[in-house]
Amino acid sequence: MAEQDNFKCLRCGNEYSLPKPEKATMEERTCPKCRSNSVRKVG
Amino acid sequence: MMDAGRHPRIELMTLSEVEEVNGYIGNFKVKVRKKARYVDEKECTACGDCADVCPVTYPDEYQVGLGTRKAVYIPFAQAVPSSYVINPENCLGSNPIACGKCAERCEKKCIDFDIQDEIVELEVGAIIVATGMDTYDPTEMDEYGYTRFQNVVTSLEFERLICAGGPTEGHFVRPGDMNRPKRIGFVQCVGSRMENRGNPYCSNICCMNTIKDSLLLKEHYPDTEIFVFYIDLRAFGKGFEDLLKRSREAGVNYIRGLPGSVMEDPETENLIVDVENTTAGRLEQYNLDMLVLSVGLEPRGDGDPLRQALNLSKTSDGFLLEAHPKLRPVDASTPGVFLAGCVESPKDVKDSVTQASAAVARASHILTSDKLTVEAITATIDKEKCTACGACAKVCPYGAIRWEKKTPAEVIEAMCAGCGTCAAECKFDAINIKHFSDEALMAQTESAVAENASERIVAFACNWCSYAGGDGAGTSRLQYPPNARIIRTMCSGRVDERFVLRAFELGAPIVLVSGCHFADCHYIDANRATQRRVDKLWDKLEKLGIRPERLQLEWISAAEGQKFATVMREIEKMRQRVTAEEIEHTIKVLKEDRGKQESKRKAKAKV
Amino acid sequence: MSEDGLRIGVFVCDCGLNIANTVDTEAVRQYAEGLPDVVASVGNRYTCADPGQEEIKRYIRENDLNRVVVASCSPRLHEPTFRHCVEEAGLNKYLFEMANIREHCSWVHSEDHAGATQKAKDTVRMAVDRARHLKPQIEAEVPVTDAALVIGGGVAGIQAALDLADTGHHVYLVEKEPSIGGIMAQLDKTFPTMDCSI
Ligand code: SF4
Ligand SMILES: [Zn+2]
Repeated sequence: MAEQDNFKCLRCGNEYSLPKPEKATMEERTCPKCRSNSVRKVG
Repeated sequence: MMDAGRHPRIELMTLSEVEEVNGYIGNFKVKVRKKARYVDEKECTACGDCADVCPVTYPDEYQVGLGTRKAVYIPFAQAVPSSYVINPENCLGSNPIACGKCAERCEKKCIDFDIQDEIVELEVGAIIVATGMDTYDPTEMDEYGYTRFQNVVTSLEFERLICAGGPTEGHFVRPGDMNRPKRIGFVQCVGSRMENRGNPYCSNICCMNTIKDSLLLKEHYPDTEIFVFYIDLRAFGKGFEDLLKRSREAGVNYIRGLPGSVMEDPETENLIVDVENTTAGRLEQYNLDMLVLSVGLEPRGDGDPLRQALNLSKTSDGFLLEAHPKLRPVDASTPGVFLAGCVESPKDVKDSVTQASAAVARASHILTSDKLTVEAITATIDKEKCTACGACAKVCPYGAIRWEKKTPAEVIEAMCAGCGTCAAECKFDAINIKHFSDEALMAQTESAVAENASERIVAFACNWCSYAGGDGAGTSRLQYPPNARIIRTMCSGRVDERFVLRAFELGAPIVLVSGCHFADCHYIDANRATQRRVDKLWDKLEKLGIRPERLQLEWISAAEGQKFATVMREIEKMRQRVTAEEIEHTIKVLKEDRGKQESKRKAKAKV
Repeated sequence: MSEDGLRIGVFVCDCGLNIANTVDTEAVRQYAEGLPDVVASVGNRYTCADPGQEEIKRYIRENDLNRVVVASCSPRLHEPTFRHCVEEAGLNKYLFEMANIREHCSWVHSEDHAGATQKAKDTVRMAVDRARHLKPQIEAEVPVTDAALVIGGGVAGIQAALDLADTGHHVYLVEKEPSIGGIMAQLDKTFPTMDCSI
């Protein structure tokens, strides 16, 4: 299984994971549930 | 068109694309890729001998696929420059074994397969963006049968069919059987004014285009019966109502109601169109020889790379955002860049030309000045305080900081854009930004929570996007709670963690850091530093036993007034949930922490 | 540290009724009057109009103001206007500061007069606190390259290129396709004149 990055939304509390991007570029984070950008990378 | 090709002061670069834009108003440096044409455009006489011998045939883009062309071709008869071009993807190859027939045939020897793409660097003082639009592709609106029935065409295809220079050389026929259609229907608003598919806006030109087409038909083929199916007819421009009147007088039938279904009679290939005539209040059926879909306009699908190279924003409909809808309607959000034509919004030829002339007046204003002054917002370094750690040089998006080990860093002022990321990054307080100094921003932060701190939200907003989004919310009169106190910085990268911690220490329940979306950053990628800094702050707050949720982060574009208001409403709800005990605890731990940090910094600075 | 001898002038704008309908501008003006270092606090109906600007200049001269705060609309709209105004009265334009009490206040809190007035007062106080730390700045001058780039060779691009060139500027007209002309070259006739498009 591909490696995952885990995120937590600091607006609505939603936790989700995404496959690790191939390149080490920084992507804009948006909570898929509430569209907030207050998304923290956890774990 | 010809004039533009001939003008001594216009350098025409076709098959060319802008790849990179650097610099600023008055002094842009632009990299343009000139794709290989494989035909010397100065020598080519457009005799066409090459195309005669070319063995391969492809659909012709100019005739929207209704005609054919060779791999070596002239885009259309009046093309400027008047020269043939080889499409390398279609061409069999220069190798004489593969082909190379055209090069052999050309008497003037202007075909050269060894020509390569060329990168040209231009220096300009102003830029006008006039990249136009796409027309809506009605494939997804399958109820009109565009992909299934041959005699359903788009308005652009119709345009080619009726044109003397078209694939049928002006013999107006329908694609199915090459007979002249006698009963023609037009469907309006295809891809426009729709919520679920296509685009929600009115494309502005399609009503008038259909009225024009109906008049052309009546003029050349008076026996044609024409039926126009519409929701509203929008003929508001100068002389437009008059054309509509002429069209009605010529016997064109206008039926209020869009077709519910289109079927094909397999025998005749005619189209059976069911429509609810909402004026008459009844269902009607029409048997038509041909149906023209009056397709709307939409933003170019390939527009984003250029938009990002120029640092421009778009509105929610995808067209480019102007600096101000009334006061600066042709200025783009980046100084020195102007908008003309449909790239800004759908418009007709007259409006495009008008806007182009307006953009020129604005651009000329810059070009005729000898000198421009640049805002004095740049970084300065205090050599006494600098420990030569090099952290600033690493984060500067412009490479404007010169730094070598052991010597204090130095700012190259001409390269500094003033985003302030370095100042926020410096742990030793050694960097300051003119006009957005630590002292001024700290004073503003403290002032924001000077009274009734527990009811306040301290919101940092960047000048170009999120602050502008807040202005947009105002212009649209979107209502939100009045608890936030907004502090403007040029870039979110300027927001020092000390400002944020200080706000919390003085009792702020919530702090918001906001900036441009990553793709819109006005300082290349300075807002990545914002994200990193906020990440670090979240960790730090958590370690100190403060809920990281109390620091919020949002990317809001200048066009997202809606989002700005929503964020304000949501974080006000969050503020109400922050308890007095929590705030008291925060104040205590942050005071202690600041004491510790300060003594640490002092110790380090001495070494 | 902010300097001694600060003399700050505050100008509170009604913007007709745009601000004054929601915000109690007179209360804001009085509040500003009581802030440290503020030596003049003035209300205007339209600060950006000529009489409003003249008043700012007069106060700068007569009261020796060395910082000016205008509480009105967004700095993204009128900061250049007011910077120019204070400059004409002999003040460095970086000693000017704006408090946004329209786009960020009266227009977005129209139902909450008390809340909006409080926010306006706070915003003015923040601007005054910031103004204390402003320093005069000198702007660098850069030369201008007298050439323009037009991207796109459709009807708008062609018109822009011709107008620029006729005005005497050098123009680069960059087009992605092998010929200029754009969509318009594909049209048969164009409204409203019904003539040929090429
Ligand atoms: S300064 Fe701004 S707020 Fe005041 S009148 Fe002018 S536009 Fe309105
Ligand atoms: Zn969420």
